Amino acid sequence: MRQQIVSLVCITFLVPFAVLGQTPPKKPESQQPMGGASTGAPATYTSRRTVGITDPNAPVVFEDVTDKTSLASFRHRSGEAAKDYIFETPSGGVAIFDYDSDGRRDIYLVNGSTSAAMRGKEKAPRAALYRNLGNWKFEDVTEKAGVANERWGFSVAVGDYNNDGRADMFVGNFGVSRLYRNNGDGTFTDVAEKLGVARKGWSTGASWGDYDGDGRLDLFVPGYVQIDLANLPPNPSDVNKSGSVGQNFCQFRGAPVMCGPRGLPGEGDTLYHQKADGTFEDVSVKAGVSDPEKYYGFSSAFVHVNDDKLLDLIVANDSTPNQLYVNKGNGTFEEIGYPSGVALNENGREQAGMGLAVGDYDNDGRVDFHITNFSDDSNTLYHNDGDDNFTDLTFQAGLGEVSIPFLGWGTSFLDFDNDGWLDLFVVNGHVYPAVDAHQWGTSYAQQALLFRNVKGKFERVGAPPGSALANAWPGRGLAAGDLDDDGRIDLVINNLDAKPVVLRNVAATTGHWLGLRLIGDVAKKSPRDAIGSTAYVTTGAVRQRQDVVSGAVYCSQNDMTLHFGLGAATKIDKLEIKWPDGSVETFDVPAVDKIITITQGKSCKSC
Amino acid sequence: MKHSFKHFAVVAALLLAAGSAVAQERATILAGPELTRVVPTGFYFQGLSAPTQMRNSAAARFGKDRYVISGLVDTSGYSADVRAKYVGFLITDSPITLNGESLQPGAYGFGFATEGKLTVMDLAGKDLMSVSITNDKDLRRPRPLMMTADGGGVRLYNGKNYIVIAAQ
Repeated sequence: MRQQIVSLVCITFLVPFAVLGQTPPKKPESQQPMGGASTGAPATYTSRRTVGITDPNAPVVFEDVTDKTSLASFRHRSGEAAKDYIFETPSGGVAIFDYDSDGRRDIYLVNGSTSAAMRGKEKAPRAALYRNLGNWKFEDVTEKAGVANERWGFSVAVGDYNNDGRADMFVGNFGVSRLYRNNGDGTFTDVAEKLGVARKGWSTGASWGDYDGDGRLDLFVPGYVQIDLANLPPNPSDVNKSGSVGQNFCQFRGAPVMCGPRGLPGEGDTLYHQKADGTFEDVSVKAGVSDPEKYYGFSSAFVHVNDDKLLDLIVANDSTPNQLYVNKGNGTFEEIGYPSGVALNENGREQAGMGLAVGDYDNDGRVDFHITNFSDDSNTLYHNDGDDNFTDLTFQAGLGEVSIPFLGWGTSFLDFDNDGWLDLFVVNGHVYPAVDAHQWGTSYAQQALLFRNVKGKFERVGAPPGSALANAWPGRGLAAGDLDDDGRIDLVINNLDAKPVVLRNVAATTGHWLGLRLIGDVAKKSPRDAIGSTAYVTTGAVRQRQDVVSGAVYCSQNDMTLHFGLGAATKIDKLEIKWPDGSVETFDVPAVDKIITITQGKSCKSC
Repeated sequence: MKHSFKHFAVVAALLLAAGSAVAQERATILAGPELTRVVPTGFYFQGLSAPTQMRNSAAARFGKDRYVISGLVDTSGYSADVRAKYVGFLITDSPITLNGESLQPGAYGFGFATEGKLTVMDLAGKDLMSVSITNDKDLRRPRPLMMTADGGGVRLYNGKNYIVIAAQ
């Protein structure tokens, strides 16, 4: 009887949904704004906490050199300034990689699009590839390379999928994604349709990795939200228009804003397995990574979470739990987000995961994660305790309070001062233009955050007035790499509806360093670009770890040259490489302060 | 002697019966298909039906067939005012206590608008009762909503905070 009562109660409450399900309204009643999982405690501030925070005594560590380069002419465009719809807000990524194998790192900037362009009513914005000529000169080679995309672009992930020694690019779009095969002559060919990775829907931060150890890279692509352009949710620009009375607009602190992702249907994720003939097959369901709950995926990375030789996979999701997939070695994964501690923050709360940094910040030999989140919420640092366990150490590490007003996107662990400890860079920017009209303590354009790592604790690096770090941008994608071969990591930021920013590292006090380019042995079933490799560098009592990772950051790609800061050390005591096939080699390093190329199975005498 | 034995047998039988009754009321936390069978996929509250976050739902069975069901809902359709006070639902088909305070069978909304309190509301959004929440700082893997056994009752957790639900 009691069960019948419960059933009756359930049915009673389900009826409205059944009705809605049968006759879906043309426009949803309303949705919760992006980042609905944030704390969002209403508060009024007398000043914005995301702009104008400067320190006159701080040294300049990054110089904005954008206007000295041809990248200054690039303009990102993603929909209209009002940002009425969610797909107008999260683009786009950026990659630093050496596409022409000349030893200098080049730059690829993803562009968005517009609804009019999607309908063929106006010219689509173009992505751009810049060839690094050295000395901060870049040549726009987009036309020749054939990589303008001209679709609503979000992400880029670099991987040499065909093991020919040339870096290829997967570009994730809202629409049909592309796989640009590098032809080796300065041009690319979109082979997505031909090879079976022309993913439709809304593809975000992808990652390449050889999860099954066959020596061929596979591809994971998160999906974000299902959008029907013919049936869009109500938009804030219609609030005061006639006929809009009665519509229940989405709100952020009572102000009408775009809808989503909560309230909008999410999109599953896709794992493409590369077959022996070079084509790909969708194995998402078989592998257990299809995301049947349809969480709002934004960033992903194949990386070794534990000490076995199998590549694991992490996915940062917006407003839903993050997922951690442990590779079982039989072509399938086990999702352990909740038991591992990565799904939620320390208080058991779902957050609005955007960007993802992967790195061993405390030099304990295990990779940790930093995930950026919505404003009114902190970013989260997940410390890897081993045995597939993570602990949220955000506040203990000094990354909590400072990040709360910011809405974070791209994030990377990088050793900007070469002291042997991975620092942290975070790009920020809000999704609602309306925040500038209110005293909510945040802003649409926001300063980036740089944290110095002091033996596992982070301190915000001050921004001298007028310096690059004092500027505010509507930041999204971020890529790190040494663009001028001076041994200091530089940065490129892709800004929403704006020009990008190129940040030259001019930090005065830096230590020695070592760059590693790894080449896997395909005959031993290691991908040639060594994605999935781990390098351990020992100097004195410090043993650092870095991994060759595709993707992560936020829809972006860091240069895959591994960069180790060495502090005062002038020699490497031990260099160990754990290759993708699981084998481990040690190498003698003849000198530091240079980039060396290490090939699997070959000694380093000539490197 | 015979009389004493009879008396002992009666007392023992009574004790056994009482023990049996207590055992019947002991809470079982539902999982898997048992859980999804009882949790509604949506819930009506204050003029709107909203989908249940099924991943953030929990239920317990007291004894043989008495159920308490709770879940967080997607409150995106509500105004900021309602979202500030309403996060999920609580359904019970028999009288229960929340931290010792009685709650009659029915379906309710709940939220945390008052610091340190869980407030139970009727379906029109009217406050019915507030109970203090306890912080379980040692809880290792908190979830947005979950239940765990607590003696004869259950703890209903929201993150590291919980209340105790018991059958009446």
